[in-house]
Amino acid sequence: MAFGSKALRLALLAGMAAGSLCASTAAQAAEKYKIYLSMSFIGNDWQAEAANMVKAMAAHKSMADKVDLQVQVAGPNAQRQIQQINAMVQAGAQAIVIFPISPTALNQVVKNACDKGVKVFAYDAEITEPCAYNIHIDQEEAGRVTAEWLVDKLGGKGEIIAITGVPGTSVDDQRTKAAKEVFAKHPDIKIVGEAVGMWSQAVARTELSKILATRTWDDIDGLWMQVGCFTANAMQLEAGKTPADLLPCAGEGANGGRIQMLPEGTEVEGASSPYAPLGAPRISYASPPYSGALALKLAVEALEGKDVPKLTVLPLPVVTSETVKLCEEGTWDEMKAGCNAFKPALVSNPGWFASIFSDQTPEVGLNAALVGQPED
Amino acid sequence: MSSAQASTRMQRTSGLRRALGANSGTIIAAVVFAVLLMVVDWVGAGPLTYFDISFLSSGGATSAIAAIGQTIVIISGGFDLSAGAVISLVNVVLASNMDPMSMQASTALWTAVGIGVGMAVGAFNGFFIAFLRMQPIVVTLSTMFILQGVTLLVMDKPGGFVSPDLGAFYLGDAIPGWLPMPVVVICAVLLLWMWLKGTRFGTALYAVGSDTDSAAAVGVNVVLVRFMVYIIAGGCYGLAGVFISAQTGSGDPLVGNPLLLSMFAAVVVGGTRLGGGQGGPVGTVFGAFILMIVVNILLVLNVSAYYSTIAEGTILFLAVLAGSMSHGSVLAIQLRAARARFAAYRAGTLPSQIDRVDRRLATTSGARRSEPSNATRPAFHIRHAETLRFALPAFVCLILVIAVTQLWLGRAVLNPGYWNSLLVLSSFLAVLALGQGTVILTGGLDLSVPWIIGISGIVLAGMVNGSDAALVYALPTVLAMACVVGFANGVGIVYLGISPIVMTLAMNGILQGFALLYSQGTPAGFSSPMLRWFMTGRIAGMTPVVLFIIGFVIFAVLLLGRTAFGRRVYGIGNGLRAAQLSGIAVEKTLILVYILSALCAAVVGIMLTGFSGQASLGMGDDYLLPSIAVVVVGGALITGGRGHYIGMLGGVLLLTSLQMLLAGTTLPYATRAILYGLVVLGAVMALRERNTR
Repeated sequence: MAFGSKALRLALLAGMAAGSLCASTAAQAAEKYKIYLSMSFIGNDWQAEAANMVKAMAAHKSMADKVDLQVQVAGPNAQRQIQQINAMVQAGAQAIVIFPISPTALNQVVKNACDKGVKVFAYDAEITEPCAYNIHIDQEEAGRVTAEWLVDKLGGKGEIIAITGVPGTSVDDQRTKAAKEVFAKHPDIKIVGEAVGMWSQAVARTELSKILATRTWDDIDGLWMQVGCFTANAMQLEAGKTPADLLPCAGEGANGGRIQMLPEGTEVEGASSPYAPLGAPRISYASPPYSGALALKLAVEALEGKDVPKLTVLPLPVVTSETVKLCEEGTWDEMKAGCNAFKPALVSNPGWFASIFSDQTPEVGLNAALVGQPED
Repeated sequence: MSSAQASTRMQRTSGLRRALGANSGTIIAAVVFAVLLMVVDWVGAGPLTYFDISFLSSGGATSAIAAIGQTIVIISGGFDLSAGAVISLVNVVLASNMDPMSMQASTALWTAVGIGVGMAVGAFNGFFIAFLRMQPIVVTLSTMFILQGVTLLVMDKPGGFVSPDLGAFYLGDAIPGWLPMPVVVICAVLLLWMWLKGTRFGTALYAVGSDTDSAAAVGVNVVLVRFMVYIIAGGCYGLAGVFISAQTGSGDPLVGNPLLLSMFAAVVVGGTRLGGGQGGPVGTVFGAFILMIVVNILLVLNVSAYYSTIAEGTILFLAVLAGSMSHGSVLAIQLRAARARFAAYRAGTLPSQIDRVDRRLATTSGARRSEPSNATRPAFHIRHAETLRFALPAFVCLILVIAVTQLWLGRAVLNPGYWNSLLVLSSFLAVLALGQGTVILTGGLDLSVPWIIGISGIVLAGMVNGSDAALVYALPTVLAMACVVGFANGVGIVYLGISPIVMTLAMNGILQGFALLYSQGTPAGFSSPMLRWFMTGRIAGMTPVVLFIIGFVIFAVLLLGRTAFGRRVYGIGNGLRAAQLSGIAVEKTLILVYILSALCAAVVGIMLTGFSGQASLGMGDDYLLPSIAVVVVGGALITGGRGHYIGMLGGVLLLTSLQMLLAGTTLPYATRAILYGLVVLGAVMALRERNTR
């Protein structure tokens, strides 16, 4: 079968599917690297933001004429991602960038892809198959650093509540185990309540409400949460606490939390309580959503024949109440100068992840994460 | 499950047509699959090769094998929610017990282990369902929670080792270049089924699923058949678990859970009717592969990620719709009926065109009046004996759980804050229970709840954006949107004859796509101060939403118990044909039921937005299974017709108080999941049917 007629049919079908498709002509595709992105679930803030940044990276002027990127979503189902990666290999992928649903379940299909010369890059979570390239933070470090901060803040003594992530995942396991090891070294730190937070602000609120049905905020000295400090602070205000009374909270890198960390009374455009400066005592960390964009960049470098290490451990983005700084516009240059929180007027969703800066990705800034538009 | 399906079956009188009709689902599923395969070949980067076929067959095999088991359960009139959890359990059992040091592993031995684990779980399910006569949906839901806990105890994070031998066997070639092994495995299972179908057991299986009473009357051992069904199904899930272990070469405690919903879709796309007695696993296998090949189609067409759930939902919808296209289909019947009505309208003989005159017989009016004045009304507990029997267990368990909370954690019974939290946290499910409960009372199921909640919250937050004034137009907009969605669900189910599970599942995917497009991945906006106060503020120590819930409960009880609409809902659930013949406008009522369900979900979306202060994608995902669980724990029958809102409310309070108790402890998550499952199982033990049915 001639390729031209295939392209014609594709274009025909593209027309039928009402604009949801973008057919590229055979001539363009020939010069570009054919790269696929297999995402997991698109239905949460982190995933959508990471996808925006990958798309922005592909659209950046340094990349646009090199990369032909196609994005596919596998949902939460590892079986489907296996099928999808197989289909991508069959469709002639040169590199596949993956948000792996499982660190182990994809090993066979990834090995098969590698054997056919396809470069496989996993971002945020890992793939344990040795031929894959991995780009992620050290999750144990994240658990350890945040737990140590909380212990310091409490002077090694106090009753705390722990809200964990999604049970049965490696990321949750590594973070929680590392944190608990730190707490175990301080016998006066007691975990009095523990709940599964599913990495969601909404779930964190439900779970905290359940725990607080039989306790009061006064019984608790601190919080260690994988996601939910923004919500915990909001709940304390609702319960009649003043910003000065807020409990120390070690948790996620949501922009809402960063804004709350700014000293109380700071003028911030678009702020309204609880998405407002409160001077909250916090340490804020995140698995940065730029990892997918970096994975794409490294994939292109690998295809160009450059030497790319199999494992890229990203520096853990940590912001404390002392180092938090408001951005004016959110350009990459501005973030390089040290700002790490964005005005509510620009980022209206407080659950949006603010750790979008990397030394290695000057192509993407705030607009990339928000709407998929690269820097100039 | 719709009016016309019943009449469709009655029309097929001749034996040949009945035989064709019984297999039409399978044939159409096969045709749809062939067409989709051709589409992939047509637009793909090259002609389909043996490798493509091999990949496809291994990709769909896990869900196909598991869905075969699910089909057998559904034919028997049951429902199995534990299927995905069994797959995960088998996967981690294999991965944690195989010895990485010895590369040789006996494929036969480990396959037997996997199938054995599945059958053991099946026997557990079967014991409660067959011998204790408990409702399949509750038993298997409890089993699901218990197994998820056990799975995490076996392996708390992905890892482990599955011998490559297993992979080489299950993913290899039976005849190199011609026949991939997964195809052989599926065919072997199907051949076993063919044999089973021909035995006495096979006949009994269909008999039990079609009409339990008749089956029992002609001497079928219903208990044994049901027990065997769950064991056989468990074996299928076990084999699916072995297959996914071979495919992934490792263990992951979450690998099977997302397969559950697509398994039901595969069964229904394959032409098996929910409710029992019709269909078969062959169609299911095609159904599973149809769902799998959609992945490839989306890829070759390069459908944008935001549109993929819409495309999937639409394909699912169209596949089923195409499957029901025939002379006897619901759509055809409805069209003929519409033509007849139009003709009657032209002729002026429609009932509504005839003058409204009193045509009652002269004797009726007087005779009916005089009776109740003399007779004493029976006492409350006698008049409501059935409602009490099914609603009380949930409340008894609730009191037990609260007593345990008081003893274990303290500060419960005398603490107004505890009661307030209980009611606030229950409010979401209390509202959902009315919608989902009403749908279940008519014998349906609404799976579009998660993304109606999601899209309602997102649209509301986006429109309101912190302004109380905007609520005035934002609330009606969101509720109107829900009405449209519910109406679409209802029309699809009633007039197109699509099964409620498929229609609402497809709708859920389509709404998810719209929510993503609307929000561009990050939902903007946040709830207004008034809405937040409504969900989190205090009036004299009480959150305003508590007052709303009290009003809502009264409304719900009156709606279902004291209105004509409520009576019609029970009528449809108890016997669709009978309801139709007694003059109930079944179509209109069913559409109203789905609108009610969508409205309830939208209200929950609004409440959650107020509670969290913002809306997030996927915020409704955690409410689907609980919304079904509370209805059934509260004493409703999943097949419709029986249940009371007060019972469902008891279910809501019970499950919420149990979660509050568990959250107050520091037990590990796995233990909590097991306890949760056991308590749900215990709570419904009292609901079991005690008569011989």
